[in-house]
Amino acid sequence: MFRRLFYLCLVFLAFLLPATAQAPLTVFAAASMREAMERIGTAFEDETGNKVVFSFAGTGTLARQVEAGAPADLFVSADVDWMDYVVEQDAVRSDTVRPIASNALVLIGAADGPKVELVPGELETALGGGRMAIADPDTVPAGRYGKAALESLELWQTVGARLAPMENVRIALASVARGDTPLGIVYRTDAVVEPAVAVLAEFPASTHPKIEILAALTTDGSHPAAEPFLEFLQQPRAREILHSLGFLTDKVN
Amino acid sequence: MDFFDLQPAEWQALLLTLRVAAAALAVALPLAVLTAFLLARYRFPGHGIVNALVHLPLVLPPVVTGYVLLLTFGRKGPVGAFLDDVFGISFAFNWTGAALAAGVMSFPLMVRPIRLSFEAVNPKLEEAAKSLGAHRIVAFLTVTLPLALPGILGGAILGFAKAMGEFGATITFVSNIPGETRTLALALYTATQTPSGDLAAFRLTLIAAFVAFAALIASEMLARRLRARLGGGNA
Amino acid sequence: MLDVDITGNVGQLDLQARFTSDGGVTSLFGQSGSGKTTLTNMIAGLIRPSSGYIRLNGATLFDAASSVNLPVQARRIGHVFQDARLFPHLSVKANLTYARWAGRRQGTRDFSEVVDLLGLNALLDRKPETLSGGEKQRVAIGRALLSDPNLLIMDEPLANLDQARRNDILPYLDRLCVEAGIPILYVSHSIEEVARLSNTLVILSDGRTPAFGPVAEMLARTDLGRATGRHEAGALIEGRVTQVDDVWGLTFVDIDGAVLQIPNMDARAGHHVRLRIRARDVSLASIPPEGLSIRNAFEAKIKSISEESGPYAEILCSVGEQVVRARITRASVADLDLFTGKTVTVLIKSVAIDRRQRSPVLPNAVEHSV
Repeated sequence: MFRRLFYLCLVFLAFLLPATAQAPLTVFAAASMREAMERIGTAFEDETGNKVVFSFAGTGTLARQVEAGAPADLFVSADVDWMDYVVEQDAVRSDTVRPIASNALVLIGAADGPKVELVPGELETALGGGRMAIADPDTVPAGRYGKAALESLELWQTVGARLAPMENVRIALASVARGDTPLGIVYRTDAVVEPAVAVLAEFPASTHPKIEILAALTTDGSHPAAEPFLEFLQQPRAREILHSLGFLTDKVN
Repeated sequence: MDFFDLQPAEWQALLLTLRVAAAALAVALPLAVLTAFLLARYRFPGHGIVNALVHLPLVLPPVVTGYVLLLTFGRKGPVGAFLDDVFGISFAFNWTGAALAAGVMSFPLMVRPIRLSFEAVNPKLEEAAKSLGAHRIVAFLTVTLPLALPGILGGAILGFAKAMGEFGATITFVSNIPGETRTLALALYTATQTPSGDLAAFRLTLIAAFVAFAALIASEMLARRLRARLGGGNA
Repeated sequence: MLDVDITGNVGQLDLQARFTSDGGVTSLFGQSGSGKTTLTNMIAGLIRPSSGYIRLNGATLFDAASSVNLPVQARRIGHVFQDARLFPHLSVKANLTYARWAGRRQGTRDFSEVVDLLGLNALLDRKPETLSGGEKQRVAIGRALLSDPNLLIMDEPLANLDQARRNDILPYLDRLCVEAGIPILYVSHSIEEVARLSNTLVILSDGRTPAFGPVAEMLARTDLGRATGRHEAGALIEGRVTQVDDVWGLTFVDIDGAVLQIPNMDARAGHHVRLRIRARDVSLASIPPEGLSIRNAFEAKIKSISEESGPYAEILCSVGEQVVRARITRASVADLDLFTGKTVTVLIKSVAIDRRQRSPVLPNAVEHSV
């Protein structure tokens, strides 16, 4: 009986052994980039044979992790402020920061709902007794853009107190999809991948700061495929994928 | 001492946390006492299943518990929709939802020590009380409950501390609304997500630690005093 | 009037009990494991018998046939347990009055009367954990009395006490048995307590009740040796104190057929006393002896001789209306040529009638009403 226990312990410990094969490239990317990044990753693997693994979360969460020395080779941020922060903390090489794409901000609701004008009266009606899902304006870029847009459209007085701030934009998306919240503010690219929601209105680009998605190499990362991947992100193949998902890629290069 | 001056947002988080934890305790504690008593004194069919269910929030990842709450008590959930339609009560995105999440998470932490303290009370004392004419409930209130009080208090403090610190289930179920659901734990999390939030995070940590520490010391003193007054479990 | 006829089993024990009692103190006597506590728990309502009935003063507490089973709190039976079971978080006073404030029993008994009866005045504000074993039992008895019961069950109340404590509490029990005014069911495996306190004796052996009846009669029976414990066999004698001799420290007790002289007895002239005389302390002589230090020697007539296996024989001798029991060897029975009807001299060493076996004040069994 004890011998069996001993072998069991050995098996358990085996899980703790580090992998000896070549570690894959690790990319920390904002939650809103999930589908785009995964497809780009597959394309990269097809072309170069290098495997890529991703960790998706709110940009702020990832920034903190990278700052604390998480084993990421690349960092993809959904806004400029967080990228500036990690550069400042010397967690990311400032000379490698590149813009990847841009995005649009939309108001979403349940898939079969009517279109809504971005005016207080209609928003109130559409909200009913519920709340508007949004990525946390205090910490997540998508939320910050959303708040800016609401303020400049003078809708903040109406809905400011009726928000449901969430950890990242995908959680806000899921909330609207489930019906827990009647309205939500997400990127257009998020609305595209979720069939249970529909875009009710688009926030004009002038109502919020420019949404910039940036990528950079981490200072601690040492993977040989890191720089090639950063290059790959700016090339036509990647651009095609981004376009197809609704991202805007003006010729920034 | 500027460092220790609390910002309005921090006060808000602290007061909200106390309110949420108190509400959670007010509902969960009597339920925990009842459940603990039934589990301690009666061997009924399904005893093991009830015991396992009680401990479920203890072993499930808190986010999973929050998700289950969302599915059940959310606007479209079976219980949530019913409560909303019939009573106009809604837990979603509400401080009451935060209290519900905190209550569910602290429930098993309370049941365990309370059950142990009921088991430590000699059931023969209850027999003696009945022979003197006391009905079952009166015997429970006048004999069993007072003798189990130190354990109940200990469980309550533990539950309160857990309710104050609850994070995963809360943020999943009711999101992070300042003033409504942004308790100390969530405010701390937000501060860590903000580029310049280190100082605020540190301050919040101190507040949370101080309150918890004070609560634990108070409970220890009270329990000791009660124990002295009650004597042993058998006489 | 208690009428019990039940069967049941608890654990290894298979119980079949049948007895009635007409009030006063009824003792339930038997060795450990004979089922005494199980029986009293059934009468109290803590355990449910499988069949039969239990009736008290005409009211049915339990009847399997008609599915009557009164819950414990409705039976109005005061129960004093072997382990006192005082509520540790309440003062002695709160314990005593528990039935009043928690059991909602109005209580016809006067609080200070009970407190005086049991000597609890100094203890009222104390907590149970500070009391001695004997004090705890007295509080337990007072608590049960104040619940205004129709029957008081005392389940081996002295079993957990040492000899000194037992001696302390016995006088209180004596008074209680006289002044209680309600029937008492007294459970014990001690023949001394039983002999001292009771009017009716129920023998319990291996879960059966082979016999019950007036206590003197039961103790005199020689066929119950196994149940009563042979070495404790003896006789119960009632008598009246005629005189106290302070010079020699002797008390004269008239047992109606002889006068006994007993040293160091705490009694006054006119008191009725009950004496227990162990069979092994009694000797017989076929000729009245002379020059002996034994002061108690009197004539008696042999009522019966029972010869059991082994060296001993049990002889019952009538003294007036009462019976004294002697245990002597069968060899001596033969040597002295003893036979039923023969007149012999009964010799009892005065020291053999000692404190433990004397009860100062007890009315006659006949006087007890239901």
